[in-house]
Amino acid sequence: MTKSNATAEPTIVAFLCNWCSYAGADLAGVSRLQYPANVRVIRVPCSGRVDPLYIIKALQEGADGVLVAGCHPGDCHYISGNLVARRKFAMLRSFLEYAGIEPERVQFSWVSASEGGRFASLIEKVVADVKKLKTGKKMAGESRSASLAR
Amino acid sequence: MKQAAIDGKNLKKLATAMLKQGRVRGPVRDARTGSVALGDLSPKNELILDYANFTLPPKREFFPQCETIATYDADGFRPEAGSDKQIIFFGIRPCDVRSLGYLDKVFLDANYADPYYRKRRDHALIISLACEKPGHACFCTSVGGGPAVAGAGVDIMAFNPGDSLIFEAVSKKGEDFLKKNRALLRAPTAAEIKKKKQREEHLQNALPELRMDGVTDAIGKNFNSPLWDAIAETCLGCGACTYLCPTCHCFDLYDEKQGTGGRMLRVHDACMFASFTREASGHNPRGRRGERMRQRVMHKFAYAKENFGDIFCVGCGRCVVHCPSNIDIRETVSRAAL
Amino acid sequence: MNNTEKKMQEAAARLLTGGSVDCIIGFENGSLPRTARPCFVRNAKDAERLVWNQWCVANLAAFVPKLFEKPQKPRKDYKTPRVGIVAKGCDGRSIAGLVKEQQVPRASITIIGMPCNGMKTAPKGEKNNVAGELARTCIECVSPAVMHADIAIEGESRKPAKAAYPRVREFEKKSVAERWRIFTEEISRCIRCNACREACPNCYCKVCFADQRKPSWVSPAAQVSDTMAYHLGRMFHQAGRCVECDACVNACPMGIDLRLFTQKLASDARELFGCVPGVTGEDVPPLNAFKQDDSESFMTDPEER
Repeated sequence: MTKSNATAEPTIVAFLCNWCSYAGADLAGVSRLQYPANVRVIRVPCSGRVDPLYIIKALQEGADGVLVAGCHPGDCHYISGNLVARRKFAMLRSFLEYAGIEPERVQFSWVSASEGGRFASLIEKVVADVKKLKTGKKMAGESRSASLAR
Repeated sequence: MKQAAIDGKNLKKLATAMLKQGRVRGPVRDARTGSVALGDLSPKNELILDYANFTLPPKREFFPQCETIATYDADGFRPEAGSDKQIIFFGIRPCDVRSLGYLDKVFLDANYADPYYRKRRDHALIISLACEKPGHACFCTSVGGGPAVAGAGVDIMAFNPGDSLIFEAVSKKGEDFLKKNRALLRAPTAAEIKKKKQREEHLQNALPELRMDGVTDAIGKNFNSPLWDAIAETCLGCGACTYLCPTCHCFDLYDEKQGTGGRMLRVHDACMFASFTREASGHNPRGRRGERMRQRVMHKFAYAKENFGDIFCVGCGRCVVHCPSNIDIRETVSRAAL
Repeated sequence: MNNTEKKMQEAAARLLTGGSVDCIIGFENGSLPRTARPCFVRNAKDAERLVWNQWCVANLAAFVPKLFEKPQKPRKDYKTPRVGIVAKGCDGRSIAGLVKEQQVPRASITIIGMPCNGMKTAPKGEKNNVAGELARTCIECVSPAVMHADIAIEGESRKPAKAAYPRVREFEKKSVAERWRIFTEEISRCIRCNACREACPNCYCKVCFADQRKPSWVSPAAQVSDTMAYHLGRMFHQAGRCVECDACVNACPMGIDLRLFTQKLASDARELFGCVPGVTGEDVPPLNAFKQDDSESFMTDPEER
C-alpha cells in the first residue's frame, strides 16, 4: 500500500456505457470542457455489463478509484441493464465499504449522452474525493501497481 | 557436544540467545483463535511447549505456497537468488521432520536439485520437539515414525521429561548449536533421562497401529476397483487435505505480467482439484473424483514407495482432522488394501 | 433424538424400497469423536447407517448440483437422477435456492425435513477433549425447520431467532481504516485451498472465476492482494443467495471468520431488497431483478456539490 500525499495524482478507472456516459464524456471533450486528466476510460456496452470483478481487478492493478457511469433509468439502450446494475452496485458498494474500501473510492453515477458538463463535474468530484483520502491504493500489492505506473 | 539440558525456567533466555543469532520461527499463539502456529518469535514470546501440532505443515517454510522464482523484462530473465539468512526452527514435531526428509528426496534429487528449496533447506537449523501426547488422529507409528523418533534432516531433537528440555544433537550443525549455547545449558540428570525413556515407551505404545505391510502391492491390485468412486462420493474436491499435508508437493507455475515484463511464481497445486489434469483440449484424464482420490492415495502409498522407497505419509492426521467430509485416509487405505 | 433418528431411517428405507429415489444423501457416524459425516445410501438395508445428532453440521445440499450436472455430450440413455436428502433448515434453504436457479428440478429431489435444535461444533484439533458448543449460525438461525419438506419428520425444532446481526452492526461502527485492518488480517490467514468454495452449495460454477485464465482475475498465489480479490469476489457472488449455513466457515482449515462478512451480505439483502434467501420464496434472486423505485442513495450526483 503506497502512501498518498496531497500532490500525488490519483488514477481513476472509469467504466462508461457506450450509449450514454461514454457519449457524454465525448461531448465534454468536443465542447473543450476542462476536467482533471486522472481518468482512464474503459467503454462497455452497458453499465449492466460491469462485473464486480472489474472493479476489484481495477483496484488490484493500482487504481486509486473506480467510477461506473451508465444511462439514466428509463434510458438504457438495452431497456433494463442499468436497473439491474443499480441493485448490484448498491450491494457491492455497501459490501466493499464494510470490508474497508472507502465509499469515495468506488462511485456510481448516471450521465446521459447530452450531459457533457455533468460528466466533467462528475470527474472533478471523484478526483477531489479520492485525493482527500488518507491512505493510498487499496489491494494493490507492490508487484501490482507497476502495471498502472507510467 | 551431543547431549544437553536446560531448565524450563531458562527457556526464555535460550529464546533470546537464539534471536540474537538470527531469525527464529517457533510456536506462536494466535491472539484471536487461540491456536498455535509456526511464526516468527519476537523477544516477548515465551517458548510454548503446550500444543499438539501446527495446522500448517513446515513444508511451507522450504516450499512456500507462493514464491517468485524469476523475474523477466526486456533486459533478460533473472532467477531469484534467495536469501542467505540462517533461520532456526524450533518445535517442529517428529512427523513433520520426517516429511522434510521425504521432500528432500523429491526436491534435492542428485541430478535435478531445486535451487530454491535447497537454499532454504541449507540455511535452516531444525530443532524438533518430541510429542508429549498424541493428537487424536495421529498414526505416525504405523508409517515408520514415532512421537520421539529423530528423522533424517533434523539437527537437534528436544524432549520434555517434565519441566526441562533435553537436547540431543543429530547433525554436526546441531552439535555446533549446542556448543555455541553451552553457557545456558547443562548436562541432563539421570532422573531426567529415565523420565524421557519412560515417556517415549509410553507414547510409542499409545498410538493405534494400522497394518501397512504389503499395502503398496495390495492397493496397486485394486487400481480398477469401484471402491475409489465410492470413497470419493462425499469428497468435495477442495484442496484442504493436500495443502495441509506435509508431504504433498505438487505445484503450478504462474506468470504474472507487470508492464512490459513480469515474474514467474511457483504456487501450490492439488491433484484433488477438478482442473488439475484438465488439458488444453478440454479433455480431463482424471475427470472423476474417484480417479483423483485414487491418484492421491496411490501417489502416497504406492508410487512413492516404488520410486523413493518410502510411503509418503507421516501419520500426522491433518487430512483426517480437517477434511470437511471426514474422509479418513486410514479407512481409505485399509479398504483399498483389502 | 433417538426416536427422530429411527423415523428418519424408516422414511429413508421406505423411499428406497419404494423406488422413488435412487439414493439418499444423509449423515453417518464419523471416524473422529463428535463427528458426523455425509454419506450416500442406495439400499434400504443401509438406511440404518444414517444418523441424526448434534454433529450433523455439513450442508448436504453441496452435493446436489454435481449429481444433477448433465453430461457434456448429450446421451440418449441419460436419466435425471432422483435423490432424497436428509435436510435441516439451512440445507432446505440451500435447496430452495438451487431449485430457483434451476440447478435441480424440484420434482427430482425428495426432502426429508428434520427437526433441528442446532448443531455443535468442536475445534478441529481438540475433538477428543472439548465438549463442543452450539454453532453461532444455529443460535442466530431464522428458519431451523425445513420449509418445504416432502416428508416432515416429527419433532421440535429450535425457535427461529430474530434477525439482528449484532456483529455486523458492531463492525459497521468501526472506522474504515480499522475495518480494512481487520479484513486484511483475517484474510491473510487464507492458504487458497478452496475448501470454502467447494463446501458452499451455491458455488456450482463449472469453472470458478478464480480458476479462469485469459483473463486471469485472481492468481492462485496466496498473495494478500489476490486472496482479498478471491474472497471479495466469491462472497459477493453470494449476494442475495447466501443462506448463512456457515459451511464455508466450518470447512476452512484456518478458522477464518468468514461469517463476519457473509452476514453483511445477508443483512443487506434483507434491508435493501426484503429478501431472505430460501425463505421469502421469490422467483429470481434479488440481483437478477429490479424495481423502478430501487434506492439510488448510494449514487453520486455531481450536481449536488
